[in-house]
Amino acid sequence: MAPDTLIRIQGIKRHFILGDSVVKALDGVDLDIEQGEMMCLMGPSGSGKSTLMNLLGGLDTPDEGTIVVGGRDISALDENELALYRRQMVGFVFQSFNLIPTMTALENVSFPLIFSGTAPAERKARGEELLDMVGLADRMDHKPTELSGGQQQRVAMARALANDPQILLGDEPTGNLDSKTGVEVMEMLRKLNEQGQTIVLVTHDPRVSQYTTRSIHMLDGRIIEEELAPL
Amino acid sequence: MNFRDLLRVVWSNLNRMRGRAIMTALGVVIGTAAIVVLIALASGLQESATGDATAFGPVNQITLLPGAFFRAFGAPSGGDESVLTPDIIKEIGRREGVTAITPKEQVAAPTTIKLNRLVGSGTLTGIDPLVVRDMGLEVERGADILGNWTVIVGAKVGESFVDPRERSGTQVQRNGSEEPLDLLGQTLSVSITKLGDDGKPITRTVRLRVGGVLEETGSDDYAIYMALADAEDLTSWYSGQRPDRRNDGYSQAVVVVDDTQQLLPIQRELEDDGFFAFSAQSTLQQINILFAVIQAVFGGIGAIALLVAAIGIANTMIMSILERTREIGLMKAVGATNRDVMSIFIAEAGAIGFFGGIAGVLFGIGAAKVIDVIAQAYINAQLASSGSTSSDPISIAIIPIWLPIFAIVFSLIIGLASGIYPALRAVQLDPVNALKYE
Ligand SMILES: Nc1ncnc2c1ncn2[C@@H]1O[C@H](COP(=O)(O)OP(=O)(O)OP(=O)(O)O)[C@@H](O)[C@H]1O
Ligand SMILES: [Mg+2]
Repeated sequence: MAPDTLIRIQGIKRHFILGDSVVKALDGVDLDIEQGEMMCLMGPSGSGKSTLMNLLGGLDTPDEGTIVVGGRDISALDENELALYRRQMVGFVFQSFNLIPTMTALENVSFPLIFSGTAPAERKARGEELLDMVGLADRMDHKPTELSGGQQQRVAMARALANDPQILLGDEPTGNLDSKTGVEVMEMLRKLNEQGQTIVLVTHDPRVSQYTTRSIHMLDGRIIEEELAPL
Repeated sequence: MNFRDLLRVVWSNLNRMRGRAIMTALGVVIGTAAIVVLIALASGLQESATGDATAFGPVNQITLLPGAFFRAFGAPSGGDESVLTPDIIKEIGRREGVTAITPKEQVAAPTTIKLNRLVGSGTLTGIDPLVVRDMGLEVERGADILGNWTVIVGAKVGESFVDPRERSGTQVQRNGSEEPLDLLGQTLSVSITKLGDDGKPITRTVRLRVGGVLEETGSDDYAIYMALADAEDLTSWYSGQRPDRRNDGYSQAVVVVDDTQQLLPIQRELEDDGFFAFSAQSTLQQINILFAVIQAVFGGIGAIALLVAAIGIANTMIMSILERTREIGLMKAVGATNRDVMSIFIAEAGAIGFFGGIAGVLFGIGAAKVIDVIAQAYINAQLASSGSTSSDPISIAIIPIWLPIFAIVFSLIIGLASGIYPALRAVQLDPVNALKYE
């Protein structure tokens, strides 16, 4: 393993059984992800991008193969260990933001810290710091409905960073945004990556892939092509 | 997640579904209030039935009847030895924990009791003169000595004397004053009439000197205690033969115990020996058992109401979990463990039960007080119309201290329990699907 390899995926299979047909969402995937890289998964709909993302994030477990993250095989973890893995290692950004509508921006950002047992004062300070970083210092007490889509996604990014994760995962984070706010979000992700944050994105959008250092193309549950960004 | 954060999260979750939470809690309020009111009523009844424990007689005495009496009521035979012969009475008197025992024989003959021209009544009762003190017969005035036709009368025997020439039922007032007749130091004449061998009535009259008057007890105020030998003398004369106590035994005996705590075991032992035994304590115990049953039945009615409320809580929680599916997915994605998710939903359900319980207890106490006031007014009106005045206010509803605590803890438990199934459903949600849920 290269010294900078953060994640090593080997022989991953994930099959879904629907009635008497089997959907091979992932059908033998091998992939290494380097510490500090910003890569994206591309491919047509149904090619298995989200499935791979969910396995990386510990939301799902593979039927076969191993996913070694920071020296630990997460495919063998039980539910409780997976929860701890998600809490300590992973930050998620979703296409549809998934903010809690009754909570303010600040409460949404500090929500994950409740489960890591952070003290209330510290949660507030950390939430403010993160919102400030994504440029929403003046929107702390706004509910999601009082924010634009781009602002909501920035809140969601701040939340994903709350527990200082090793990997930031984004499943089409710009999918629900217009191109201008999409660019804002991508700029922000690039800035994070420049500070050393490992980022894995799923996207259909070729413009998103311009921000990444590596693009992986998938089809029918397999990786078909890997291209490095022109430097 | 620590407990304080759990409470914080639960509080804000309940706050956002406030309307529905309150509606759901109303079921608990009604159930808890029903439990409080019904048990308060049962306690009030029990208190008015057993509040004055001394009315049931002395707490350190057991009255014994021979087993034959027992069998006369169709009860299974208690053994043939259960006859109160002098030997057996002596044997019982020597038993551990028994202070004293005496036969208790009422004079088995029609008697007329007179004081000069006044006619009175009283139960002529013979007891062993040696046990007067042990039996706790407290003389208010005079001496506690029996024998040689000296007697001790109950507190109200004096009141029974009337002048037959005056209107019937008119109570005699001595010298026209309000004082009831004082029998102390008086000599009562007691006459017994029977038919002689020749068919002609013969009358025997004895003079009883009243040596003492008992304090009012509520149980033997109309008794005239005399020495057993004197009572036996009268009974023998009337029947023409001495009763064969060695074989037939006495008709009743009173056992006095050292320690009231040990009374029930001793009573039990005597019952096992085949005697028919009863005591103030065992009577109270039976009444208390009856009321415990009433309380349980009443409490059960309230518990059914709470059970219905529990179904309501479970239903509300399931609804809320459906609505919050994405949120549950998110909680899992940001690292909430199954235990965290479980705790949150069980605690939400428990909080609905808990707050419903508190409101129900307050509501129930209020309702019990209202019932009490109304009942009190009704009783007083009844008493006023019947001409008597109430001595003590009677409480219809009494709230024992354990009741509010029990009711609140019970509703909390009901709430927590009804949260288990919904919480399990929340835990079992697959985070990937939950996050996609529309
Ligand atoms: N829980 C599931 N049960 C059954 N089939 C599933 C499930 N999740 C995914 N699939 C199937 O697995 C395949 C891959 O799905 P996946 O969501 O990974 O695709 P994707 O590349 O993310 O597509 P899109 O670009 O449309 O998001 C699809 O055919 C999908 O229908
Ligand atoms: Mg997808």
